[in-house]
Amino acid sequence: MTRASRLPLVPTQQTHAVHHLEHVMGTVVTIDVYTDADVSAAAVAPQLQRARTTLHEADDVFSTWKENSPMSKLRRREITIAQAPPELAEVLELCAIARDLSGGWFDPWAMPGGLDPTGYVKGWAAQRALAALVSPGISGAIVNAAGDIASFGGPDGTTSFRFGIVDPASPGRLARIVELTGALATSGTYERGEHLIDPHTGAASARVASATVSGPDLGLADALATAVAVAEDGLHLVEALEAYEALTISFDGTEHWTAGFPFAGPADGAPARYEPLEIP
Amino acid sequence: MRRPVIVLVATVAGLVAVLSFHTKPSHLTLGTLPGTSAVRSSPTTSVAAGPPSTQSSAGTGPAPSQSSTGASVTPTTTPATTTTVPGTARTGTGAAVNYNFGVLAVSVTVNGTKITNVTIASLNDGGNFRSQSIDQQSIPILEQQALQAQSATIQGVSGASYTSAGFEQSLQSALSKLHFK
Repeated sequence: MTRASRLPLVPTQQTHAVHHLEHVMGTVVTIDVYTDADVSAAAVAPQLQRARTTLHEADDVFSTWKENSPMSKLRRREITIAQAPPELAEVLELCAIARDLSGGWFDPWAMPGGLDPTGYVKGWAAQRALAALVSPGISGAIVNAAGDIASFGGPDGTTSFRFGIVDPASPGRLARIVELTGALATSGTYERGEHLIDPHTGAASARVASATVSGPDLGLADALATAVAVAEDGLHLVEALEAYEALTISFDGTEHWTAGFPFAGPADGAPARYEPLEIP
Repeated sequence: MRRPVIVLVATVAGLVAVLSFHTKPSHLTLGTLPGTSAVRSSPTTSVAAGPPSTQSSAGTGPAPSQSSTGASVTPTTTPATTTTVPGTARTGTGAAVNYNFGVLAVSVTVNGTKITNVTIASLNDGGNFRSQSIDQQSIPILEQQALQAQSATIQGVSGASYTSAGFEQSLQSALSKLHFK
């Protein structure tokens, strides 16, 4: 497939039917749905509604800001996991898996203030919302939870999307463009200050300016991105995992990546260095 | 043929509770891409949250059409003004809304069915250092995201943002004033 064939040359070929913004989980989640040419936006309204509901249900269960959420009650030890909705046990099990896969560098149990799976839940919830969009007539969809992206399919009859990765040294620009279908998560210190925590010390920490992880599942990709940003040798952690790839950008701009990182490139497949994209 | 540029300016003291977006569902639908239509689902819950004395109605409202939601922000402390100058593009400035670390207003220029530029019209973060670093670094991402909505080159941007709730709220307000759908 050539790159030219990806781009809609004629407006009528557009299949991007829905661009929706949802305020949930303390952030903005965008939902993009690409439909088959003969499928209207209205026809996929039920799927969109289900995806939105999925996000809010996750927020209701897991929010540490809502005093009466099951997660808040669990943190105060007012309920046990057995008394909580089953999603809570599921997420904690997935968090434990992510903790093990990350060599302990992602650890919701080591957060200041106690157990806090918030860092996993956003990606997990976006991935679940994406699943609600799998439907006949939908050829691709993106759930972008404030920069952590879950996707399937592609736009305009293709099977992959192109996503920009923010340049941590100049967040108005893109450092790289990737081409993939699946999950893409970026963690860094340039956005939220000291939000990355070294689970071994409990202190704010980051070894790189940003870490991006791609793979099939956004929950794990997000957890791994967090780990890679603070781990001593985060890229090797990801290199060892099938289907997951990582890119780090250092504070001095140096980039490192795993062998299969899905850089968007010219038709010959060679990675291309994209010039930073300036905002007009 | 030249069409008039309509510049709308409105300053609104939307004292949105800082953390209201954490807990109150709402939704916005940005402008659609050329040649497409958007799903406009009716809001099921109002975002009006936080202290009872504040207003935070941007982005929500009873009207099923998103074109009217942002414009419902009240109270307006400066009357909206309209200026007509030659040109083909139209620029609108949205309501100033609170976000996590301050107050911002977004200005958007549209030309026909395309968003051609998005900028921060005003920003008051109280001089907080942390806030400044967040603003200066993350707002360009949001601008880029808004422009990306009109781009055929990429379909998303990876890299988190902190101010997005307020940004999108003001952006939607600006688009509404331009009757941009």
